Amino acid sequence: MELNPDLRDHTATLSPRVALKRPVLAARSYADRRRLFLISMALPGLAYVVAVGVWPLTKGIWFSLYDYNLLKPAQTHFVGLRNYADVLDDSVARQAFSNTVVFTVSAVAVELVLGFAIALALWRDDRFNRVCLALILIPVTITPLVVGLIFRALLMPDYGLVGYYLAESGFSGPHGLFAYGSSALATLIFVDIWEWTPLVALILLAGLKALPSDIIEAARADGATGVQRLRMVIIPLMAPTIVLAVMLRTIDAFRIFDSIFVTTGGGPGNATNSLMLHAVKQGLEFFNIGLASAIANVTLLCIAVMATAFVILFRQADRRAHGS
Amino acid sequence: MTSIKGFFREIAIAGLVLAPLVGSAAAADKPLEGVTLTLASQNDQFAAVLAALAPKFKEQTGATLKVDILDYGSLLTKTTADFVGHTGGYDLITMDIVWSGQYAQNDYSVDLVDWIKRDASELQLDDIYPTLLNALGHYGDKQVAFPFAGYANVLAYRKDLFDAAGLSPPKTMEELTADAYKLTDPAKHQYGFVANGQKGPAVAQDWMQYNTEMGGSILGPDGKPALNSEANVKSLTVYRDLFQKAAPPGAVNYDWGGREESFRQGLVAQMQTWSVGAPGYYDPASSKIVDKVAIAPAPRGAGLPQLYGLGGWGLAINADIKDKQKQAAWAFIKWLDSPPEHKEFNLMGAGSFLRKSEMTDADLLAKFPFLPVIAVTFEHGDGEYRPRIPQYPQIQDILGTAVNSVLVGNTDPKAALDAAQLEAVKLF
Repeated sequence: MELNPDLRDHTATLSPRVALKRPVLAARSYADRRRLFLISMALPGLAYVVAVGVWPLTKGIWFSLYDYNLLKPAQTHFVGLRNYADVLDDSVARQAFSNTVVFTVSAVAVELVLGFAIALALWRDDRFNRVCLALILIPVTITPLVVGLIFRALLMPDYGLVGYYLAESGFSGPHGLFAYGSSALATLIFVDIWEWTPLVALILLAGLKALPSDIIEAARADGATGVQRLRMVIIPLMAPTIVLAVMLRTIDAFRIFDSIFVTTGGGPGNATNSLMLHAVKQGLEFFNIGLASAIANVTLLCIAVMATAFVILFRQADRRAHGS
Repeated sequence: MTSIKGFFREIAIAGLVLAPLVGSAAAADKPLEGVTLTLASQNDQFAAVLAALAPKFKEQTGATLKVDILDYGSLLTKTTADFVGHTGGYDLITMDIVWSGQYAQNDYSVDLVDWIKRDASELQLDDIYPTLLNALGHYGDKQVAFPFAGYANVLAYRKDLFDAAGLSPPKTMEELTADAYKLTDPAKHQYGFVANGQKGPAVAQDWMQYNTEMGGSILGPDGKPALNSEANVKSLTVYRDLFQKAAPPGAVNYDWGGREESFRQGLVAQMQTWSVGAPGYYDPASSKIVDKVAIAPAPRGAGLPQLYGLGGWGLAINADIKDKQKQAAWAFIKWLDSPPEHKEFNLMGAGSFLRKSEMTDADLLAKFPFLPVIAVTFEHGDGEYRPRIPQYPQIQDILGTAVNSVLVGNTDPKAALDAAQLEAVKLF
């Protein structure tokens, strides 16, 4: 065993018998102390994770196995996986799931393309681009609930600043964009794109600025055109950043609630209902905690699967980008 | 010097002797000194007035009143969590008319039956509309809340448009429908009808109102859901047609705020609404129809009994708080509902009427000329058109989706109500 140099000095003055035992004890004691120190440093963080993550998650799983309604607490009883079966059987929940998937995939795809385009446009570090970047980040600073209220007021077909003209011109239909199933979901996707594309652009811009300029210059010197440099050099090198941006936005978009809640309430019919909206309604409107927990756990499972896939992709992209 | 010393000593002795007496006199004047009451209040017009009256209540009784103003969803969620957890966070709760069943079933609040009997003369019960006393807190054999804010469903209409068309305000639903079509002219951005169309409680509550007026009913005679009855399907068909041909295009996504705004902005000739919003039509700061608006009793279907929709709020006392707090909370209810305080409450703009004497009060009539309409509505009030049963929130949600789907043309009334009925029966 390699002895700590500090301890080696101390053992030199001890008797041979003691000196034989002490180094081992001292070394163990040091290792123990070090372990104890590390544990004590990690303990507050660990306690925090248990308190706000593990414990509620465990309770959520526990509740989902019970028929548990806050309005009828005396009738609570164990039902096993029945709440999950109810979620799968429920046509409203199924539509909420498909709406959530359509919303997430569409919004994130467009945000990625637009965000990348904006990031490329703002790549050069000059004053104009810095001002532009600051301005386009304004939507990100507004809370989604307020964004929903703003768009709702703007798109009212009767007296909305935009909605009135859209209805008059026949673009939105007479009842406005939020009144029809297909246009309501598309409008909500547009609202999400409006708000979150700047964030994607910011993440990608940070990635672009961290690219090694010598490789790009070398490609240019080799005669690669702009499109070739983008396709064969920039995008492969940016892959880890792209995966990161997509992961963050996908997880966030999958939990969409605020803007739908204040604009359509999930309507017309259930055309814009989302998983989170459905869970909140079950939990906080009907106080059906068992079913709400099951819906929330299904959502969590989906997000966990996506996050794991993104982490694997991220590692692969990182290895390819750095050639290791 | 000696005499001055003696004088001060006598003053000190007198002070020591009198202090407890003065203290006890003050305690008698302010029997609730040191008590703090926390009231969870719906964010309606009365909420700000309740908060404004708190210093006066403290001055008269010694009790501090804290008013926590919440939106409808937060009020329901926070107070239910308080009840279920037995945390006693709120002493007083504004209870919506439709929550009575849940309160009674779960014993969330103090049953006030005996206290009302004991303090009947102080409460001047004869001066309170029996319909409000029943609807805003009475359920089964319990009184789970005491009314303080009665809302009347009334017809708000544009005098100028009706006069120009040679029409008088409709007395029946058939007249209302016919007038709505006559007064609609999309080229002039003028519409004859408006109601809530937004998915959820907004559209469900408005349709339930119209449905009752057209002879429909949410529950059958056996107390079970009858959502797809012939009368309901017929009324939903009429309702859909009104939305499609006589309402502003955006009405399918209106909640209460959108509906009121469309009326105040002069887009609509008539609508049914809660009386609590009426003062806003006469406010030039927010209304373009100040001199053109009038209020009339809500129409009923031809041949149906004279019944008008009632809504509003009662004050419930949390069953989990200590007795001293309960007594203080009851004292506050009696104080707020006393004739002089309740009159002031309304003069300050609460829009929450309760007493018969308020309907003929000169000061109130000068400010609110529509009080005779509210009096008629309260006299013949119906608080049951939204069933006050524990399953109400789910039924409202089911109807909120079904009716909205019909209004936007996704399905027809029969199919929507058949599907809703299948969902609703599972709740019983």
